[in-house]
Amino acid sequence: MTFDYWTLGFQAVNVLVLIWLLHRFFWKPVAAMIAARQATVATLLDEAKAKQAEAEAELDKIAATRAGLATERDAMLATARKDAEAARETLLAEARAEAEALYATAKAARVRAAETLKTNAMDEAQGLALTIAGQLAARLDGPATDAAFLRWLVEGLAALSDTERTALAGVELELVSAADQDSPVQDRIAAAITNALGTPAKLTFRTEPALIAGHELHAPHFSLRNSWRADLDRIAAALGEKGDLSDAA
Amino acid sequence: MDSPLETFPLFMVGPESFAVPIMASVVVTWAIMAMLVLGAALLTRRLTMVPSRAQATAELLVGTVDQQIRDVTGAAPAPYRAFVGTLFMFILIANWSSLIPGVTPPTATMETPAALAAIVFLSIIFFGIRGGGVGGFLRGFALPNPVMIPLNMLESITRSFSMFVRLFGNVMSGVFVIAIVGSLAALLVPIPLMVLDLLTGAVQAYIFAVLSMVFITSAVEKGKPHNKES
Repeated sequence: MTFDYWTLGFQAVNVLVLIWLLHRFFWKPVAAMIAARQATVATLLDEAKAKQAEAEAELDKIAATRAGLATERDAMLATARKDAEAARETLLAEARAEAEALYATAKAARVRAAETLKTNAMDEAQGLALTIAGQLAARLDGPATDAAFLRWLVEGLAALSDTERTALAGVELELVSAADQDSPVQDRIAAAITNALGTPAKLTFRTEPALIAGHELHAPHFSLRNSWRADLDRIAAALGEKGDLSDAA
Repeated sequence: MDSPLETFPLFMVGPESFAVPIMASVVVTWAIMAMLVLGAALLTRRLTMVPSRAQATAELLVGTVDQQIRDVTGAAPAPYRAFVGTLFMFILIANWSSLIPGVTPPTATMETPAALAAIVFLSIIFFGIRGGGVGGFLRGFALPNPVMIPLNMLESITRSFSMFVRLFGNVMSGVFVIAIVGSLAALLVPIPLMVLDLLTGAVQAYIFAVLSMVFITSAVEKGKPHNKES
């Protein structure tokens, strides 16, 4: 067995030199490269995390914007609903006013038509009444009827005030009769009127069959209607007033 | 067959009166050194962020050594990386150099494992003093109590000696067995033994490096202030 100390020394030095050389040329640069890569990866990871944080922040912003949009949409919908409600109310009010106007117009037309119908009916009734009254009067005793109407004429004159009767003195009076009066009758009528007025009357006689029966006394500023025709007119006027009152009710 | 315990100089250098023998193990060691240093220089000449296959392999080796240092000692790998990693690589390649016909591994002679063990012995002292100072390092021998000082000092020598003997014995025996078998049946028969020798060489390199790391860390830990109280 041999043991060479020179070789021991050489090998020890060799290994130490090898350790230094490999430290210089292998372990240090490779470890530095690994550390650099790890640092780069860490930096990239940090950047990626930062970008992720930015992306999440952007996402939050977008979510907030979306929430704002939803709120805005709700507000717009509420406004639109309110506007639509207002428009509907306006349209309804306009439609109601228009309907009321139409109703009023229709009502006025209906009232006018009813008035026309009533007037026509009244005229027809009046004509019918005149016809009936004429036919009835034709069957009555003419002198008796004339006497009765003459008595009512005298009573009418008697009902006048003294001032009115005085105003009729000396005035040209026209006596209108429904039928022709012969002279004796005219004299009797003149006498009765003179007696009623208290002064002689200046009379002219005229016949008007439309009076149906009776005598009427007319002056330029005076008229005493005493005939069936006048009675029918009064009745018709009274009926008309009654109809107006019922319509108003 | 020559005795595996006998070494013969390959050539002599220097004057005849003071001739220094250069053994084959030294020449092989120089060749291994040249290969490792040139390869490392070429490999690390163009390191890039996106590694090539060779660079990735180198980084894998560095990462594995670092991880082993962390796993075994729990310490940061940077101060020990070059020492332990170089020991492992050198021993591994030296052991595997037996595959080259005509080459005797340097670790199969006594001088190389002895030199490696001596370096480990000295490095334990170096790292121990660097970690805890001279006082701290010396106090480490008095743990757990001063009675243990002679035993601890003896142990510091014997454990390095055991490393030397273990490495030399394993590699030398493998070479010796292959040589015997090869002399008996030179064709194909030694191949399984060579494969086994590869495994043995790798395991021995790993064991030597790990034990070195354990001993160094033990010395560093014992020299730290908190161990003074205990």
